[in-house]
Amino acid sequence: MADFQDLTLFWIKEMNIPVKHTTGEEAVLSLLQDAGPQASHVLESISQRGLPTRRVEAWHYTDLRNLLKHYPAVASSSESAAKNALAACKNPLPCVELPIINGGYCAELATTLPQKMLVASQTQTVDATDIASDDTIGLLNSGLVTGGLTIAVNDDAHIDDRICLSHIMTEENSAASRHNVKIGARASITLMERHLTTNSAAAVTNTVCDLELADNSIVTWVIDQQMSELATRFGQLNVKLGKQAELTILSLNSGCKLVRQEIRVEVLGEGSRLNISGVNLIGHDAHIDVTTKLDHLVPNTVSTETFRNVVAGNGRGVFQGQINVAQIAQGTDARMACNSLLLSDASEFSAKPELEIFADDVQCAHGATVSDIDENHLFYLMARGIPEKLSRDMLIKAFVAEVFDGLAVEQIGKELNNRIDNWLDNNG
Amino acid sequence: MVAIKETIEAVKEIEAEKYKYGFVTDIESEKAPRGLSEEVIRFISAKKKEPEWMLEWRLDAYRRWLTMREPDWARVSYPKIDFDEIYYYAAPKGFDEGPNTIDDVDPELLKTYEKLGIPLREQEILAGVKNSRIAVDAVFDSVSVVTTFREELSKAGVIFCPISEAIIEYPDLVRKYMASVVPVSDNYYSALNCAVFTDGSFVYIPEGVRCPMELSTYFRINELNTGQFERTLIIAEKGSYVSYLEGCTAPQRDENQLHAAVVELIAMEDAEIKYSTVQNWYPGDENGKGGIYNFVTKRADCRGRNSKVMWTQVETGSAITWKYPSCILRGDGSQGEFYSIAVSNGAQQVDSGTKMLHLGKNTSSRIISKGISAGRSQNTYRGQVSAHRKAMDARNFTQCDSLLIGNQCGAHTIPYIEAKNSSAQFEHEATTSKISDDQLFYCLQRGIPEEEAIALIVNGFVKEVIQELPMEFAVEAQKLIGISLEGSVG
Repeated sequence: MADFQDLTLFWIKEMNIPVKHTTGEEAVLSLLQDAGPQASHVLESISQRGLPTRRVEAWHYTDLRNLLKHYPAVASSSESAAKNALAACKNPLPCVELPIINGGYCAELATTLPQKMLVASQTQTVDATDIASDDTIGLLNSGLVTGGLTIAVNDDAHIDDRICLSHIMTEENSAASRHNVKIGARASITLMERHLTTNSAAAVTNTVCDLELADNSIVTWVIDQQMSELATRFGQLNVKLGKQAELTILSLNSGCKLVRQEIRVEVLGEGSRLNISGVNLIGHDAHIDVTTKLDHLVPNTVSTETFRNVVAGNGRGVFQGQINVAQIAQGTDARMACNSLLLSDASEFSAKPELEIFADDVQCAHGATVSDIDENHLFYLMARGIPEKLSRDMLIKAFVAEVFDGLAVEQIGKELNNRIDNWLDNNG
Repeated sequence: MVAIKETIEAVKEIEAEKYKYGFVTDIESEKAPRGLSEEVIRFISAKKKEPEWMLEWRLDAYRRWLTMREPDWARVSYPKIDFDEIYYYAAPKGFDEGPNTIDDVDPELLKTYEKLGIPLREQEILAGVKNSRIAVDAVFDSVSVVTTFREELSKAGVIFCPISEAIIEYPDLVRKYMASVVPVSDNYYSALNCAVFTDGSFVYIPEGVRCPMELSTYFRINELNTGQFERTLIIAEKGSYVSYLEGCTAPQRDENQLHAAVVELIAMEDAEIKYSTVQNWYPGDENGKGGIYNFVTKRADCRGRNSKVMWTQVETGSAITWKYPSCILRGDGSQGEFYSIAVSNGAQQVDSGTKMLHLGKNTSSRIISKGISAGRSQNTYRGQVSAHRKAMDARNFTQCDSLLIGNQCGAHTIPYIEAKNSSAQFEHEATTSKISDDQLFYCLQRGIPEEEAIALIVNGFVKEVIQELPMEFAVEAQKLIGISLEGSVG
């Protein structure tokens, strides 16, 4: 009965309850204390409110207070370790490599940059008092940030090389970085965020990327997370879209114990297009939360979101997708789909696709499904002599691979599909 | 084509009708002292001649309510309610001697119900439409005025009476089931209701009985500054069936009035309950002045195997609606259904939806929600579908569509989907759009005037829900939708 009442009390949120801090909270607070004056506001905010619980709407399905058990000390980087780390995490795709090892940018290990773009190891600080109280990733980042990159791409620059920000952790440490990326008008580029660990260390990373697309630019942004199964990652991508800009975001999560990936897009330019595709492979004991927030603030923009989730063992998947359409954003076309496959009885998936619409001349839709592998499909394959395990793998692959098929950046699609194969070998 | 004709007629009536239930009945009434305190609760309990255990139960609820906080998560905004400014009990004079026969009832009251289109004299009902008899429990402010067809129902073994009477006559049943679906401290308004509820209906369908007629309760708030706190409890024993209708109206007043109800349905093995609501409280004027604050907790418990509960609602009234008729699918193979049309116009705010909690094996649920927002209104669908770890083979289908008329209104969809085992199969889809120019053009081009064309398209939009309503309600509902959307065209 107690469990049941919990369910029914579900919507009622009360605020400001935590008094006694959990070990996770204490670890965070002591790091913030060490971080000095830059963290004073965040320190105060978190020591008062604690980390968010399910009563905080934005964290409803990711009870950070319970889930975050530890937060290790901030990492320091040594050059030799960095070299080994980069060698261990070789990028299978030819890229311009910008290595960020244990939170520090290693300029001397970076590949030569193409022309018409600039990378500097510095980050603009943000005023923590401007950050919303439920934006825990932003708050933690502003308090703990140790560095980051400022990347600027010139107007009219067409950069053919892929630019890859490889975040590698080598020890059980934490790191926080903040990147600023500005893409000039009419420029085009492909950028990748990779997140890796060299061993099975329980590292914790927090990265915030601020991405600005000027008018008529075309950008593909890839988030590829393959950290160890004990690691924790907090990621936030904040995007501002200019006029007629086109942005494609591909996101693949195939590792970590705890992930919260936020994608927040402000659609500020008329005629812009946004396409987000994501695959989350959620293994045993993992908790992966992808939260998107799209603000359509101007007329005539298009957005599509497609997410596929596969949950194995007693993994837990979360998708929260919010689409806001402002009153002046007439002619918005926004679509969102989130399909999930649960592979075991202990696996869980929760979805909260939200539409908030204040304009009338719009087309908005969302769909969400949760189910097991279709018995009929399985039967069809097995009746043709394909063994059950293989049949299942084929069906799971078909379910997720669709998202990355037919991409303009074919090589990336192929690479992401390879990773799906690997994951299935280990978890399927 | 009949439906189309009806729609056109309904739209024609718009000019004349507006909110035709907005009149005030001039009747002397007796009220409890203004405000809320233990004394007021004792007063209500004494008025109702309640046994001691009931009073204790109320006081306990009141004490718990004092420790609770008003929920603020819903997408509605309103000035803070001063719970000490409200009258918690108001009854037409002379109701102390109840229960009444129809002849004792003040003719003014009977006239009121005639005006509302609800004849209370059985012979009048019989003289009306053939084969469509409905037993009515009429609740006026805080008391039940009269309950019709009780004798005929009791022959079938069905108990249908005001809840205040049930507390005295069937205390065992009431004690066993009341608050077993919605616990006293479930939420702020349910706790308040437990403390001060005044009347409502009690329905008990014994094993294997198919209730011989539709049961219905008609709620009317009349007095100024009163709150209505109704409580309805329906119990369907093994293998029984009942269809229950609920209607509500209130006079047009400048002040906001509070309506906080609790409705509990209990369905045992193989039982089926069909609960339909046409909610037509006064919505306030177009600037948002006046109107009813409707904070309602409705929940059904499908306790037995293969039990079935169906909620159907048409929401056109209230300044603010905060209501989530839910189903707890506890029995294996139980089914829950929710069909809803929520129409908002003017400055109305609706935050409504459902919860389907799958706890038993092989349970299934279906949600069809149609929201129509016009004027400057905000219309939110908020729903939860969850499958418990042991709820094997739970099945849900949800469809919520929103239609926007005009560019000042908002439509929001906030579903919570939670699957805790792999055998669950959940599908959810939602769309938001306006009436497409193509559809409108198609109608106009065939010579249908714009207003009728819009009514026609809206009718098509809500058809899936309308067809689930009992006959008598379907016609009324269609008219209501037309009336509610008045002035939103063009």
